[in-house]
Amino acid sequence: MIPIENFLVLSAILFAIGFYGVLARRNAILILMAVELMLAGVSINFIAFATYLDADAFSGLVFALFVIAVAAAEVGLALGVVLRLFRERRTANVDEADSLKW
Amino acid sequence: MGMEQAWVLPAIPATLFVLIALFNGLMPRRGDFLAVLGMLTVVALVFVLMADFMQAFNHGHYEPQGTNVYAFDWVNIGQGFFIIEFSTYVDAITMVMLPVVTIVALMVLIYSTGYMKGEARYGWYFAVLSLFVAAMLTLVLSGNLIQLYLAWEGVGLASYLLIGFYWERQSAAEAAKKAFVTTRIGDVGLLIGIIMLWRATGTFDIQEIIAAATSGQIGETYLTVAMIMLFGGAIGKSAQFPLHVWLPDAMEGPTPVSALIHAATMVVAGVYLVARFSPVYAEVLIARDVVLYIGLFTAFMAATQGLVSNDIKRVLAYSTVSQLGFMFVALGVGAVGAAMFHLFTHAFFKALLFLGSGSVIHATHHQEVEGLGGLRKKMPITTVTFIIGSLALSGIPIFAGFFSKDEILHFLEADGPVWAYPVLAGTAMLTAIYTTRVVMLTFFGEPKDQHAFDHAHESPPSMAGPLVFLALLATIAGFFVFDQVGEALGFAGGIGYLVFIDHPHEFTSIDWVFAGTAAAMSVIGVIIGWAYWHGDAERARRARGWAPDLHAFLVNRWYMDHMYQAIINRGILGLAGAVAWFDKRIVNETGVDGGAQTFGYFGYRLKFLHTGKIPNYALGMAVGIVALTLVAIGG
Amino acid sequence: MFDRLPLPSQFDRVIVAGGTVAAIVATPVLVVLLALLFSDVISGPEFVFYLAAIVVVSGALGAVLMDNVVHAALCLVATLLGVAGIYLLLMTEFIALVQVLVYGGGVVILLLFALMMTNAAEDPIVTDGSQKPFGFLVAAIMGSLFVAALLDAQWGDPTANVVPFVDFGTRIFRDFSVPVIVVAVLLDIALTGAFINARRAEEAPRERAEAERAGEARS
Repeated sequence: MIPIENFLVLSAILFAIGFYGVLARRNAILILMAVELMLAGVSINFIAFATYLDADAFSGLVFALFVIAVAAAEVGLALGVVLRLFRERRTANVDEADSLKW
Repeated sequence: MGMEQAWVLPAIPATLFVLIALFNGLMPRRGDFLAVLGMLTVVALVFVLMADFMQAFNHGHYEPQGTNVYAFDWVNIGQGFFIIEFSTYVDAITMVMLPVVTIVALMVLIYSTGYMKGEARYGWYFAVLSLFVAAMLTLVLSGNLIQLYLAWEGVGLASYLLIGFYWERQSAAEAAKKAFVTTRIGDVGLLIGIIMLWRATGTFDIQEIIAAATSGQIGETYLTVAMIMLFGGAIGKSAQFPLHVWLPDAMEGPTPVSALIHAATMVVAGVYLVARFSPVYAEVLIARDVVLYIGLFTAFMAATQGLVSNDIKRVLAYSTVSQLGFMFVALGVGAVGAAMFHLFTHAFFKALLFLGSGSVIHATHHQEVEGLGGLRKKMPITTVTFIIGSLALSGIPIFAGFFSKDEILHFLEADGPVWAYPVLAGTAMLTAIYTTRVVMLTFFGEPKDQHAFDHAHESPPSMAGPLVFLALLATIAGFFVFDQVGEALGFAGGIGYLVFIDHPHEFTSIDWVFAGTAAAMSVIGVIIGWAYWHGDAERARRARGWAPDLHAFLVNRWYMDHMYQAIINRGILGLAGAVAWFDKRIVNETGVDGGAQTFGYFGYRLKFLHTGKIPNYALGMAVGIVALTLVAIGG
Repeated sequence: MFDRLPLPSQFDRVIVAGGTVAAIVATPVLVVLLALLFSDVISGPEFVFYLAAIVVVSGALGAVLMDNVVHAALCLVATLLGVAGIYLLLMTEFIALVQVLVYGGGVVILLLFALMMTNAAEDPIVTDGSQKPFGFLVAAIMGSLFVAALLDAQWGDPTANVVPFVDFGTRIFRDFSVPVIVVAVLLDIALTGAFINARRAEEAPRERAEAERAGEARS
């Protein structure tokens, strides 16, 4: 049987890589991809806990399922935003969308 | 209506206040009829209440059927540690106050429909009068001190609004401010007294406090201080020395307001308060002596000031201060019944006098007595009713003031210091003199201002009616001293038992010699007044020439306003300057501006962090998460 | 060098090149893992786990490090498939299926569409942000913190709990029906929002279009 630590460490590494991607990337779509990585890491964590530590083994699965569903919704919506940004500014780079500072 | 439902009484005018204040523009006659009809209802209810009360009040023994208290918890903090109730309490003192307040208020409201006709803010005037009546009824019905204090401030507010009714006039605005600030000084004392009593007993309920104080649960020194503080509130509200200065200035308000608030009802709130706590004052004689001496001094001082004032309303105002002093003298010797009786009669004849003076002012647009004269030919009803009021005030037998003043003098002679009686008797004579002076100068002699005289006319029925009714009351109110009168009216045990809550039996007969002396002094006073001011008042002018300094002293109100102004200028403005300096330099420039500048500097220095770029913010968030994780793991 | 091959499009070239690189890198790793497996250092499931983990991590690294956006997206596909394998190892075959269907089938396709509709088609090379070193530092600290914390914790006795496929379906639509409906509504709203956001400016309501024109005129 595979020790639970293996899965947990993998999820942590995946999360950290995704985190790096979010911070380092400029292109909004690539940032979204990095967010997907983070979500995948979290999902692994949920399922590992569900399978190994929860006698019912169910809640974690539902969480993972909903994470996937929400991620799908998020990607759909975020891509709409990115396309809008690209149309208005001719760029998909988030650091060029600096109108938060007026 | 039983006594538990007494809360209905203030509720009616309170509702009317809201209605009239908000919707007077939509109503015919701006809603004045609503105020009058509401007041009429309240008067009717008061008599129903009185009948109910009398059933439980037999021959000096008060045995209510069940409770006469209506109460619910208003604030309850800490499982009974701090309870403020809304409660009504009805007893004999309340039963004296209720008809006084409501009947005078009804008369004043009817009178005002004539007097105030055509004024701007006509509806607002009636709204505020309703507010005043609501607050005043709450005050006299209140069963606990916090509610009493709220109502106390409520009548103060109504008084402020009505004194400043003609706020376009600088003097009116200043008088309103002066009245409010001056009474506030006393109110602080009242509040301190309330807090002290609460600290000692843990309750705000008046009856419980009285029970605790009379059973000796409170230390005597502590109780003395608390009672003097409480009396401080009475000093402010009832315009006693040294806080009497606001009342003469309060005459800037409309005259009916002066009749209602500054003669008959609000200013007697202090008397009511002290009477309410009379069992406690009987325990702490030092505090009661304070009441006595302040009342005595005020009565004398105000009478001398009234002697020289030129303004008809101011004379009446000084007279009110003086008569309130009489009441406090009675309270100061423990004669609560006499005080309440004088309050009862004084309310009617003083309201009558004020309304009469209002009638004169309405007709001539003058209020300087030395500019009037001969009005008896033009205004017969006003003249007759005013003279009746004057006789009552002077203490001429058969009129109301004679009986009540006689009771006070009687008690003072019996229980007071030896020298106090002559002083108060002399003051009573002074009262007769200045009252006669006003009557002589206003209604007799030759008109001094021919234009005003030609302009004068008798007042309309809406104003004359209340005058006649009040004149009737001023004539007969004194007979309530006799039990037989009350019994004839159907009150079990006589109305005297109601008014004279303690020692009811001492009033069944009159000491004729004593009464004769008092009556003789009043008559002498009237004669002196007639002698000096009849015709063209030649003798009075000569008298003024004998002692110009004394005259100036009196005209300048014993220089008390000057003294207060000096105190305010030197002391308070100096202190205010220091505080202002502190506020400007320390609080504002160092504290507020300095703080703002500090933050401005850091903001300027740190603004490079605010890039507007999302990745930077994400990085900041990430650093925060890492820091929190470190804390979570490290902890 | 791929120009000589009969491959018409850039995507095909990417796939071939990526596969070649992956094969070159993966072969020695595979050999090492097989050697460990046969020498009984690791068990069979662990062998599969490490295989999947390598795919996941290397794919993730590719997704965040590659300069070419299309390459990065394809690396993401590899990662997500590897994650699906991890799910299988955890005996949750339904989640693994959903992962493949939704991510591999939906999300990545959407991402590629978005790349295509932005300027990635003409200029597929992206540059990273100026705060890259800070990002690396923070992510490294965070990752090591997490790993340290996870290894430090006591996880008790692991027991493999498996939810049968049928149970899963029954329970999610019985016990979790309300959250399912909520997620359905969320997806609906997201769809509507995405549609409204991505609409062309000409189709926008007239006043907004006017405001945009005014904004353009000002700038």
